[in-house]
Amino acid sequence: MTAAPPHGHAHRDAPSDDPRVRLDEAAGVFEPVPPYPPRTERESEFYTLGDGEMFINMGPQHPSTHGVLRIVLKLDGEQVVDLDPVLGYLHRGVEKLCENADYHHTIAYLDPLEYISSLFCEWPGVMAFEKLLDVEVPRRAEYIRVLSTELNRILSHSMFIGWMALDLGGLTPILYGLIERDEIAEMLASLTGQRLLFNYLRIGGVNGDLNHDFMSRLGDWMSRATTQIEANLTLLNENEIFVRRMRGLGRLDKETAFRMAVTGPNIRASGVALDFRRGHPYSVFPELDFDIPTREEGDCLARYLVRVDEIKQSLRIIDQCLHQMPDGPIMAKLPRLLRPRPGRAYAAVEGPRGQYAAYVISDGTDQPFRMRIHDPSFVHLQSVGVLMPGHLIADAMAVMASLDPIMGGVDK
Amino acid sequence: MGVRGGSTAGLGVGPSDATQKPSDSAGNNASNANPGLILRDTAVAEPIVVANTLWRSTDPNAYVSSPEPDVTHLREVEASGIGRRDDARWSGALEVIPTKADYVLDLIRANSLWPLLSGLACCAMEMMSSATSRNDMDRWGMFPFRASPRQADVLIVAGTLTTKMAGPLVRLWEQMPEPKWCVAMGDCTCSGGRYKRSYATIEGIDRVMPVDVYVPGCPPRPEGLIYGMMKLQQLVKDRRGHWPERAIGPTVPEDV
Amino acid sequence: MDAALKRRLEARFGERLTAPIAQRHDETEIRIGPGDVPDVVRTLHDDAELGFILLADLAGVDTGTHMQVVYHLWSETTPDWLRVVADGLSRDDPRCPSVTFLWQGAEWMEREAYDMFGITFEGNRDLRRIYMPPDYQAFPLRKDFFLPDDAARSAGAGVRHIEQTHTPRNARPDRVLRKVGA
Repeated sequence: MTAAPPHGHAHRDAPSDDPRVRLDEAAGVFEPVPPYPPRTERESEFYTLGDGEMFINMGPQHPSTHGVLRIVLKLDGEQVVDLDPVLGYLHRGVEKLCENADYHHTIAYLDPLEYISSLFCEWPGVMAFEKLLDVEVPRRAEYIRVLSTELNRILSHSMFIGWMALDLGGLTPILYGLIERDEIAEMLASLTGQRLLFNYLRIGGVNGDLNHDFMSRLGDWMSRATTQIEANLTLLNENEIFVRRMRGLGRLDKETAFRMAVTGPNIRASGVALDFRRGHPYSVFPELDFDIPTREEGDCLARYLVRVDEIKQSLRIIDQCLHQMPDGPIMAKLPRLLRPRPGRAYAAVEGPRGQYAAYVISDGTDQPFRMRIHDPSFVHLQSVGVLMPGHLIADAMAVMASLDPIMGGVDK
Repeated sequence: MGVRGGSTAGLGVGPSDATQKPSDSAGNNASNANPGLILRDTAVAEPIVVANTLWRSTDPNAYVSSPEPDVTHLREVEASGIGRRDDARWSGALEVIPTKADYVLDLIRANSLWPLLSGLACCAMEMMSSATSRNDMDRWGMFPFRASPRQADVLIVAGTLTTKMAGPLVRLWEQMPEPKWCVAMGDCTCSGGRYKRSYATIEGIDRVMPVDVYVPGCPPRPEGLIYGMMKLQQLVKDRRGHWPERAIGPTVPEDV
Repeated sequence: MDAALKRRLEARFGERLTAPIAQRHDETEIRIGPGDVPDVVRTLHDDAELGFILLADLAGVDTGTHMQVVYHLWSETTPDWLRVVADGLSRDDPRCPSVTFLWQGAEWMEREAYDMFGITFEGNRDLRRIYMPPDYQAFPLRKDFFLPDDAARSAGAGVRHIEQTHTPRNARPDRVLRKVGA
């Protein structure tokens, strides 16, 4: 390799003249710099060190619980100058597997994408299949879908609150978040049979009807949910350190948000009232009454507060679902072997992180021809490249946590 | 709506004639390509079947009917001694009788196993859940989830191991000082799980590192993980997890 | 299904569309050639009447004979999704202009399409692999990339692969007990 070395030193593989210096071959490569010359414009721009800068690798295993993400940080002292996220450590080839599986099997593949909000991952896939099959979902099934997904949204936001505090260093709120999460997970386990990867939505409806166990747990929980969540939030909302650290951090303005294709609470915290439940209504949301919390500032605190407000709106929606729940079947009548018409369908839902979408191409056989999954965490992770530079490392982690990425969805 | 003859606008899927012929080049027949719209009738299409020209099994019984295979029952195979033993008991000439000090040390280790934060995917959620308020792993001393491998005893691999992550994970394992144990949590780490057919995952972490306890489930309930950790404690206490002799790789013989 | 949108699109892009505008449920689909992508997308974005300011998705598709890049856009002005299909990319050297000049968030989506299909996006400053390791040679989502399962077990034409996943290696098609009834 005769290309110019990336950072001004002799190439890593060049033998050193100094006999005291030995390359630790057995230990492998520890440098975050890739061992080949830069291939793209951005790579050469990034892997050139300025004066006093250094590379630090936040390796795939690090305590921030978002999953396996590797970020190469270019630091000037403690301040982040630039960063290069490296993905793919959880890439499981879901889209390829879906092409080789029946339509019903793809639902199980879609679950572990964003494992906290599994029902939201299944929903666009199922909706796209229903569009291809021209099947109409019974109203009771739609209401149950909305009910369970709003519960999932509360679960996801409770975990977000916990992780937000955890990344800032607070170890207590995550325990409260996990209490909420455990309760809701047990509730959903009595409904769907699973605590985490629910596999509950089916093409044409849902898997099982509401049962007594679920309703009693839900009733119990709803009666104390508001006060319980309020109590959990007093730990953080009135905590001066938390608020002062997050205020003004990672400001994402409207134009940048649209440029980075950001959706969900992240863009609602920047002043854009874009919620696909209102902006492109699906399911029974036109019949439900809820607000879209929006904030103007666009900083981490705004993103946090938007999600807190969304929990309250979700409680409202669940309440309405319970009151308006119609009777009827929970599953449309479909043949067991599904062969949709050849065609394409796109379906999107508003999940706790943003727009979850599925784009399905069917060729008339019983396996999808192309199953494309659009995941919001993947898109939002690009924004860290825009928001993080200029902050200290600790604040940079807060910025990333406030965008709420889940690596299962990022890597598919 | 772009309707022609009752079908939607062509996808360009597959050759335009109904007969399928196996392709001798990779991919579908490019020679038949119709660069414009391809008209399809609304009958159900034939599946795209590409005959296998890449690999054929050399086993003469692979594709033809043949008498019953002679290896049937796992117990018979174990008794015949073909494979290696997988109950982690050391056998051989150098049986070392553990002393009282070793016994006490093992008891101490068992009651304060410090796991490494190695949550990769969904099982990490259940691992976190088993470590916190409702299902508290701190009762058995496993509270501090160390961030650094140098300070950890147990590597609980929670989540799918992909080929890209295999290198860093094995490096983490090698960085952990002995005595160390490994728990494969979740179906993906035990055997590949629902991603067994994927091009980017490792079918079970026992292909790359020795595993002491397998906790199946997708994801296993927190109680299940706690049960697995208690089994690990048992292993540590009874010195059955004599770690230098653990095998890497599936200990079930290949013919089974 | 928004007929007004269809009229507006036909009026604006009439000569560039390579296929009639298809509409189904709440989706409107237009097909263009890859060279027209920057102009069309910029018009869709900047025009006040159309106003497709949000890029919802960017996907690559391998149809077996050629490749496509599919964009999904959202606008406040219409209740439909707009799907823009850049059709007719060759399978040997698929190239498509990049839309990162308009949406920087498309950068990673194009990287993913490159990684999975090999589609080169001209104008993307950072076109390298995103999921697979950087020295990986194949493009996994192409139709000529077989899962190892398919290569080993497709000796029987028409055997459903999904049924053979957990059977022992010496199982033969006639030994699969479960029949799939129609």
